[in-house]
Amino acid sequence: MPETPPKTAKVRALLLAALAAVTLLTSGCAGWVRDNLTQAPTPWRRIQPTALPVTLPDSRDFPIVAARMRDTGTVYKSYVVALGNPTVLPGENRLTVDVQTLPDSLFGALVQPPRVFPVPLYTMETLTETTKREFPDMRIKVADGARRNRYGDYDYVTAQDGENSCVLAWQLITDHKRTLPERIEAIRLDYRVCGVGSNIRALLAPFEAMTLTLPETVLEVQDLGGL
Amino acid sequence: MTRPVLLSTLLLAGIAALGGGSDAWAQSHGGGRALAPGVKVEVAPAPGSGSAPAAGKVDETALRYYARIGDGERLEAEIARLRALDPTWEPPKDLFAPQPTTPGIDETPFWNLVSAGKVAEARAAIAEQRRKSPSWQPSDKLLQELDLAESAGRIRSASDTKRWQEVVDAAAANPEAVACNRLDNAWRLAEAYAELKQTDRAFDTYKTIVTSCPKAKERRDTIFKASRHLSPDRLRELTALGATANPATGEDYSTVRTAEAELETGRLLERLGNSKAGALSAADLSRVQGIVRDKQDADGAIALGWYFQKQKNFAEAQSWFSQANGWAPSDRAAEGLVLAYNGLGEKAQARAAAAPWKGKSNRVDQALKAVDPPRGPAGGGRGGPQGPSELDRALARQDYAACIAIIRASIAKSGPTAALLQQRGWCLLELKRPSEAEAAFAEAQVLAAREPAKGGASAGGASAGAAVPRTPSAGGLPQSATLAQENAYGQAIARLATGDVAGLTRDLPRANMTAAQKAEIRASLMATEANRALEDKRYNDVLRLLDARKQLEPEPRNLGILRGWALYNLMRYDEAYDQFKAIDDRLSTEESREGVTITWKTIYHDW
Repeated sequence: MPETPPKTAKVRALLLAALAAVTLLTSGCAGWVRDNLTQAPTPWRRIQPTALPVTLPDSRDFPIVAARMRDTGTVYKSYVVALGNPTVLPGENRLTVDVQTLPDSLFGALVQPPRVFPVPLYTMETLTETTKREFPDMRIKVADGARRNRYGDYDYVTAQDGENSCVLAWQLITDHKRTLPERIEAIRLDYRVCGVGSNIRALLAPFEAMTLTLPETVLEVQDLGGL
Repeated sequence: MTRPVLLSTLLLAGIAALGGGSDAWAQSHGGGRALAPGVKVEVAPAPGSGSAPAAGKVDETALRYYARIGDGERLEAEIARLRALDPTWEPPKDLFAPQPTTPGIDETPFWNLVSAGKVAEARAAIAEQRRKSPSWQPSDKLLQELDLAESAGRIRSASDTKRWQEVVDAAAANPEAVACNRLDNAWRLAEAYAELKQTDRAFDTYKTIVTSCPKAKERRDTIFKASRHLSPDRLRELTALGATANPATGEDYSTVRTAEAELETGRLLERLGNSKAGALSAADLSRVQGIVRDKQDADGAIALGWYFQKQKNFAEAQSWFSQANGWAPSDRAAEGLVLAYNGLGEKAQARAAAAPWKGKSNRVDQALKAVDPPRGPAGGGRGGPQGPSELDRALARQDYAACIAIIRASIAKSGPTAALLQQRGWCLLELKRPSEAEAAFAEAQVLAAREPAKGGASAGGASAGAAVPRTPSAGGLPQSATLAQENAYGQAIARLATGDVAGLTRDLPRANMTAAQKAEIRASLMATEANRALEDKRYNDVLRLLDARKQLEPEPRNLGILRGWALYNLMRYDEAYDQFKAIDDRLSTEESREGVTITWKTIYHDW
């Protein structure tokens, strides 16, 4: 009498394979959502100032009014700190921090969202456009030389009218040799503040005194000379 | 009628801009022909044709296809192209008789796929056909069309994602993809040059279009497109060329000049909105007034109203706001009217102008505060005379910086009140400082709770603790908001401005606001979400949100445009066209014209 068990096992295996295929196919159809959605920025959500990855010195003129954050994919986290504005000028005083981390999976490396900030951060054209928008009807001057805060050199623009002064400062931290931890690809900082009077250094003081408080330590540059 | 066939010089214009002008290029290559002073267009040969083919050897595949599907415009272009290749060639007499292109194989299905923009499918179908009939070769024209369609697709894709250099590269790789019959690609190329700050090349590209594409409508649309990137002087130069160069029989190029006039009016109205007092010359002012009257343009009248209001010429301002309200009643016109009457000291008239919108429109309620200011030290003095205070005057002239300064001084002198803090919130919002505005409203809320007796009358005159009858917003009587409700409403507006959509959606059902206020915020939230859905390419969601929003408020123009693009991207082209056309018929703008043009071209494959 011929043996039959192998035939049953084959049929069973075929059925299982077919079931798996159908499951895979139908789950793909039913659950398919455009893949770019995971790469789009989430809406801004409010956070407590204590949840910010940055600590600013206490300031009577520029207190923290609100803090918000959003994610773009798994790679970018963006934070906006709205600061008090002691002037009557339009526009919010703010510090923006974008943290770019390295993807933690092969898939993440393959599918990355577009960079949330341009590099270079500004060109002469975009800077002109931005300063016109931020500081309408004010005298604008691009600083000749960079200044240095705890994390390296940064550039800035000043704007002035009869009573007030404003600064726009920006910085891209990419130094992996000393400053940045391994997991962080880059940190972008953008700081816009207006105050009464003409003391530019006082306006830049919070930007120069701030400390980054990310989960991994961001080291400060050693040499703070030249301030 | 013949038409200049190809615009390979759209790209070469760029080269010419570097190398001394298109004349030099055209002359050095021979075959260039003068189209207008300073403009030459190269008639490019078909790909693969190193020299002119012998008579009778031209590839008529595409010609017969266009004849078969009845696409007269492309048929005409193809005849011109073939004549350029071989001047002795004449269109076949049996053009409209059905004929298979290759014996035994009809290429129509492949052409249909190409026409529908399904290039990959066409390639696959050709490969499949070749597998079945290995001896069959698709016609050169079909392969050329496929290459062209792919290049055009690359240009569109790069342009949609703002990869401007790739647009230029893709166009350089296949100059025929930016020909007159693919005008959208030519516009995209010009835009790419402009975005790359190569304005000369952008100008040369536009110039080539308006001097060589024969249709007046195409030239006119090009002027509108170019207006985003070129200075008024260069635009004038472009218009002059477009209205005179290489005229084609039966085309009315006066519309090209009209386009410039429309743009000029737009520029003047924009200057009205932005200018300081007296910035417009008397001639310009008189011109824009005439145009606004002729067109009975309510938006233009409002712009003129604000122009005079800022100059404190309240009588003239009142006249224009009244005119606008007569042509198309709106809360924007009523807001101006209230403030203009207030400036004239005619408070009763101001209140009468506000009456139809009171409690329904925040901007009118705010304007009314200048007429009947909230009680407070800077608002006329508690129990004092109700004449216009310094703060009222600042609000009447929309000087929000002064508003902040006056309130600050008042608080320093007499301490804060809920009404003052609330007013500070509104002024901060106008100064685009929403985070501080939200804090001001929250502070006002706390203070109002502590001083119920001093809560003061709100715009509607209800006291802070007064019970407000809840009525449905739609079709219901206008509700008067309490001070507490106005503070909550102000906070919600501020949160909207900071982009806190998720948090606001969560908190809205519990918020202490009138039904009308809640409906307004809900409508704004849905509009924000619809915009986000469009960015995420969730087009069905866009329509779902806009439909829901429409139940709360009439759809404004910008959201109508958004709806059009959602329909377009869902390939509901006819509906998209109807949508854009309806908006464009009411008031034609760059956005509405773009929608109409693109959907029309998509429907009729007229790229």
